[in-house]
Amino acid sequence: MSWTQIFTDKPWLPEAAGEVPDTDTGKAPGQIALRMLLGAITILFLLFFVTFIERSQFQDFHALAGEPWQPFTDSMRLWVNTGVLLLASLCLHWAVRTSQKQQAILLLLGGGFFAALFVVLQVSVWQFLYNLGYGLAENPANSYFYMLTGVHATHIIGGLFALLLVGRKYLAGADTGVALRACATYWHYLFVLWLVLFFMLTRTPETYAIIAAFCGLG
Amino acid sequence: MSHVAIADQEAHLHHPKTFIGKYIWSQDHKVIAIQYASTAIFVGLIALVLSVLMRLQLGYPDQFDFINPNSYLQFVTMHGMIMVIYLLTALLLGGFGNYLIPLMVGTRDMVFPYLNMLSYWFYLLSVIVLLASFFAPGGPTGAGWTLYPPQAILEGTPGVGSGIVLMLLSLAIFIVAFTMGGLNYVTTVLQARTRGMTLMRMPLTIWGIFTATILGLFAFPALLVSAIMMLFDTLAGTSFFMPAIVSLGEPLEHEGGSPILFQHLFWFFGHPEVYIVALPAFGMISDVLSVHARKNIFGYRMMVWAIVIIGGLSFIVWAHHMYVSGMNPYFGFFFATTTLIIAVPTAIKVYNWVLTLWRGNIHLTVPMLFAIGFIFTFTHGGLSGLFLGNVVIDLPLSDTFFVVAHFHMVMGVSPIMVLFAAIYHWFPLISGKQLHTGMGKIHFWGTFLGTYAIYLPMHYLGFLGVPRRYYALGDSSFMPDSVHSMNEDITLAAIIVALFQLVFIFNVIWTLRKGPKSERNPWGAASLEWHTPDVPPDQGNWGDKLPTVYRWAYDYSVPGARQDFIPQHVPEEDVDYEPGGRKSHKT
Ligand code: HEM
Ligand SMILES: [Cu+2]
Repeated sequence: MSWTQIFTDKPWLPEAAGEVPDTDTGKAPGQIALRMLLGAITILFLLFFVTFIERSQFQDFHALAGEPWQPFTDSMRLWVNTGVLLLASLCLHWAVRTSQKQQAILLLLGGGFFAALFVVLQVSVWQFLYNLGYGLAENPANSYFYMLTGVHATHIIGGLFALLLVGRKYLAGADTGVALRACATYWHYLFVLWLVLFFMLTRTPETYAIIAAFCGLG
Repeated sequence: MSHVAIADQEAHLHHPKTFIGKYIWSQDHKVIAIQYASTAIFVGLIALVLSVLMRLQLGYPDQFDFINPNSYLQFVTMHGMIMVIYLLTALLLGGFGNYLIPLMVGTRDMVFPYLNMLSYWFYLLSVIVLLASFFAPGGPTGAGWTLYPPQAILEGTPGVGSGIVLMLLSLAIFIVAFTMGGLNYVTTVLQARTRGMTLMRMPLTIWGIFTATILGLFAFPALLVSAIMMLFDTLAGTSFFMPAIVSLGEPLEHEGGSPILFQHLFWFFGHPEVYIVALPAFGMISDVLSVHARKNIFGYRMMVWAIVIIGGLSFIVWAHHMYVSGMNPYFGFFFATTTLIIAVPTAIKVYNWVLTLWRGNIHLTVPMLFAIGFIFTFTHGGLSGLFLGNVVIDLPLSDTFFVVAHFHMVMGVSPIMVLFAAIYHWFPLISGKQLHTGMGKIHFWGTFLGTYAIYLPMHYLGFLGVPRRYYALGDSSFMPDSVHSMNEDITLAAIIVALFQLVFIFNVIWTLRKGPKSERNPWGAASLEWHTPDVPPDQGNWGDKLPTVYRWAYDYSVPGARQDFIPQHVPEEDVDYEPGGRKSHKT
């Protein structure tokens, strides 16, 4: 199958009738569906980012990093969480590559565990922020932090449900190759997305000004 | 033959035995389609009643005790939102998309049947949440279907407590449902086509549904973003969209947010949304016209391009809904240009429909009447769109009844024409029975002429400056008396059109119960869906063996062939040509 058909095929010609061209794409449906899903999620976050960058240029926006007393000037906590999510991602990475079932099951459990742990740790970051007096509605920067990490965590929780379903099938001995690989890809995607989020949410006002100018939103 | 393996996977086909497994928790795309369609039509009827209530107020102000300014706004809002999202989007994609995709591309079911089933149940949940707002304290939201902040979540707008929250929640659930269904439609079209079904042999219906689904997958996120941020603003007191506001001398807790940002997000979804509705309609109407004119669709390849190009362009025209928001003139110029460019492929499609009819063997069946009606209503709505697309013309017309007339012609009446054409056309396939023709014709003429009687005068009201979403006009000096009598006439027409829909409902019920069995493929259609071993198609659609496709979907009145159509799955050897007629190039 190729998109050039749209320009070249002439299905109305008499010669075209009677043929049975090969339409095999050589891809599994799961891969295509996953790509579409990731595309949609990417757009979701892109739009969030656009609004975020625009909002960051308003007077009342106080970035969460920059001055020493601000919570993410030292973002050690977030680095720890990053490490945990990386572990989750690595577990699934190896889980789909190992040929031993025992090992694969352990790695799948690990992938699920670390992802869940990440969500818990994110909640603890919320508590940390809240206790410092950075409430959800105090400032748009805080609002964005809670909201975006929340939406990201929701996607992880959704992924955990999918992993649970696929894992059950895998244990039952069904052929789950494509589905497991899809889970792994999703995990890697969420990890990269988290890196982007981490970057976006913890910049200094100066950096935001540069990004905004770059996007034409300054 | 790996792709046959996908299309023909028996493994994931369930064969439920119980009634519940078969009709309630069903994973069969046909059952899911019917569940989607009946739910959508059910809420659609509610929205129809709401529109009549609105018209009663506009035609006969202050005559009805149960309509006050608040409830009027609530009717307007719920009517708009239900019609656009919960009726049209759900019926065209969830209903017809689900039913037709596997049958038209020749597969046994969607590639992810379980996800497909979940999609319906999430959709039903979203409908329930939406309808729950009617019973919530304060009632449903009255913010208008565009839900613009700040007023959507400010005191004084009806439904500000729970109505707006339920609305936003329901939208979010709908988007999840749509995504699950949409992934299925796209993947099934790309991956599960039967042998020989190249992309350029697919009926235009599939092209329309396919492209619309991709639009949906990439446009609904914008609505989700705005819904989530607005939920935070109302529930948690954040200021994403809410500016600093002084209300009754008291400053509110919000400050610094940008209401215009919401408008951008909303229309970045909203404009593609109109094509999410229009593209499947374009596709289905192309097929109906071609079958009932016994002619191949004119300019098939151009039609495919047009669908794809319109889909792409629809993402860069959104700000034509915001000309009056105080935007930079260059910005407005850009969007006016893209908006007028999108009219080009749209016009090409209209020409091609007309050219399909030209010298065709036109059968004025009920589906064909609705299809031709669509060409009229869509052209009218498209032309008024060209007016509104120009900034200077839009400024005085924005927020008047001219806009109401425009989008009802193009997005209200036209898709409804297509839906009726499609229902009359595919009813024999879905139910094995054919709707009564006489009643169908009465239904058509009542609906077609009646909707014109409603919407043509609205253009005139718009020119006079009658604003939309006003509960009552009062004694505005710039409006002549004719406005009031015209409003009365429009209301009468609206009631009559609503009554004509009863003919349709009666027709469906009567046909299902008493109607005679229809013959197989009564219209003589060439596309695959009519050529299943059983009609209506059984679980798994194709019996033992999937069909192989040898030609495109439009071999009507092929020169030299004895029959006036050649089904897609008939090989050249089996076509009955007259002596000296077209020969297969292989012989
Ligand atoms: C020829 C192409 C079209 C052009 C140039 C066009 C242009 C416009 C413009 C400029 C507006 C904004 C008017 C205002 O608020 O002041 C508008 C509104 C609208 N259009 Fe179109 N349009 C076109 C086709 C369509 C189609 C095909 C549909 C749907 C199937 C559609 C649905 C709508 C809707 C729903 C609104 C009103 C939204 C609202 O304010 O509530 N339009 N159109
Ligand atoms: Cu638009």
